[in-house]
Amino acid sequence: MFEILQLEFMQRAFIAGVILAPLLSVLGSFTTLRKMSFFSDGIAHASLLGVALAILTGIAPFAGALLMGVALGVLVFALERYAKLASDAVIGIVFTTGLALGVIIISLQPGYQPDLISFLFGNVLSITWGDVWVILGFSAAILSTVLVFFRQITLLSFSEELAWTSGVNTKRFDLLFYVLLSVSVVLGVKLLGIILVSALLITPPVTAKLIAQSFHSYVALSVVFALVAFMGGLFASYYLDFPSGASIVMFATTLFAGTFVVKTVKST
Amino acid sequence: MKNSPALDIQNVSFGYGKGPLAVEGVSFRIAKQSTTILIGPNGSGKTTLLKLMIGLLQPTHGSITVLGRTPEQARMQVGYVPQKLHFDHTFPLTVREFLDLSNTGTDTDVTRVLADLDIRRLARAHVGTLSGGQLQRVLIARSLLGEPEILFLDEPASGIDIGGEQSFYGLITNIQQERGITVVMVSHQIGLVAQQADQVVCVNRTLLSSGPPDKKLTPKTIEKLFGEHVALHEHTH
Repeated sequence: MFEILQLEFMQRAFIAGVILAPLLSVLGSFTTLRKMSFFSDGIAHASLLGVALAILTGIAPFAGALLMGVALGVLVFALERYAKLASDAVIGIVFTTGLALGVIIISLQPGYQPDLISFLFGNVLSITWGDVWVILGFSAAILSTVLVFFRQITLLSFSEELAWTSGVNTKRFDLLFYVLLSVSVVLGVKLLGIILVSALLITPPVTAKLIAQSFHSYVALSVVFALVAFMGGLFASYYLDFPSGASIVMFATTLFAGTFVVKTVKST
Repeated sequence: MKNSPALDIQNVSFGYGKGPLAVEGVSFRIAKQSTTILIGPNGSGKTTLLKLMIGLLQPTHGSITVLGRTPEQARMQVGYVPQKLHFDHTFPLTVREFLDLSNTGTDTDVTRVLADLDIRRLARAHVGTLSGGQLQRVLIARSLLGEPEILFLDEPASGIDIGGEQSFYGLITNIQQERGITVVMVSHQIGLVAQQADQVVCVNRTLLSSGPPDKKLTPKTIEKLFGEHVALHEHTH
């Protein structure tokens, strides 16, 4: 049907994106409502430390980023909850420290580091079939968990106080959400890069919120906007020869701007 | 077990962080199927005491028993209406969805509370767009899901205009009588206590008095709680 899908690297990127777009937008639906956008941005940036350590020790950079993302997500959760430190301050410290350590470790490595550049900005060419399987496995597990605990996660996002009185173990589900979000962000980094992954997590849900009539429609529209942004961005990057991550982000932003303008015009 | 109290609070103290105690050495019991109102001035520890009773806070000293269990264990047997609900008002959640999320029973339960609280017309409205009075009704409807044995309400009329307060408290009395549940309510309205409560608990960090309003709500207690310029006047209309 499309010329670009004849290419194997594009097939891999397309499959990875079609899996990642719903994953990031579903998690993002809760992230934006919980005002945790800075958390996802912080985890994405701090995962560079995992990439750096993986390059240093010779393990797969993707695995290093995943392990570090989860570790730092749990660290942020613990510092917020038990040290009673302000969320934005904790994330600010963890984010910059992880990034700084990552840069120092990478600077000690001789020569050009292609893995580093692909993690910074994302690269469809860098996605292997192995990555696709990893993305598929984790995404299926995360989305299944969200589906099973949809009630608890939604209530917790709405009000921790009401979630508690509805019998939700708020501490446990909060930690679960931090871990799920951290893994999802790192999975998204492979496609969009550290700098751009938050866009697919945040922009589609914010666009959906402009027009959603209910919570279920909000989540469904977030997924639709994320898929449209991904496919539109990927095709645009191929035909216009733009970087893929940046193209996907710009497509998502265009959808947001268009929806915002139409909604504003209709309501005046 | 029928004569055992719904709530048993024994020598409870609680402080936020390293600051002074918000509640100190408070003890009282609440009988089943009664209406108890906690009164006291702003900052007297009323809301803190209520949050201790539902397990949102843990006492630093003393013990709390709710229906013979710890507050955490009894969570599913109590309903709770907060004074002010802090949430993102752009949250795209309809009233029906909000009640469905809070409901562990059947769809019929949600339909019933929507009818009982006369909020069926609000089912498709976004929770964030409701007025103060509408939101309070929705929160009460939510608190009734799961057939609670105790209903905790923290200043439930705080978001309601003065004209609507009387009928709102009448609604709570009806719920209490129809369902035969125990009601524990925080309020600073002394007149309401005299009219509706079986028991009044007067707190100002420590317990000042506890018992039937006609015996415990004396001018001396009121002066101790609110100062000498506050007195109890009976409504005649």
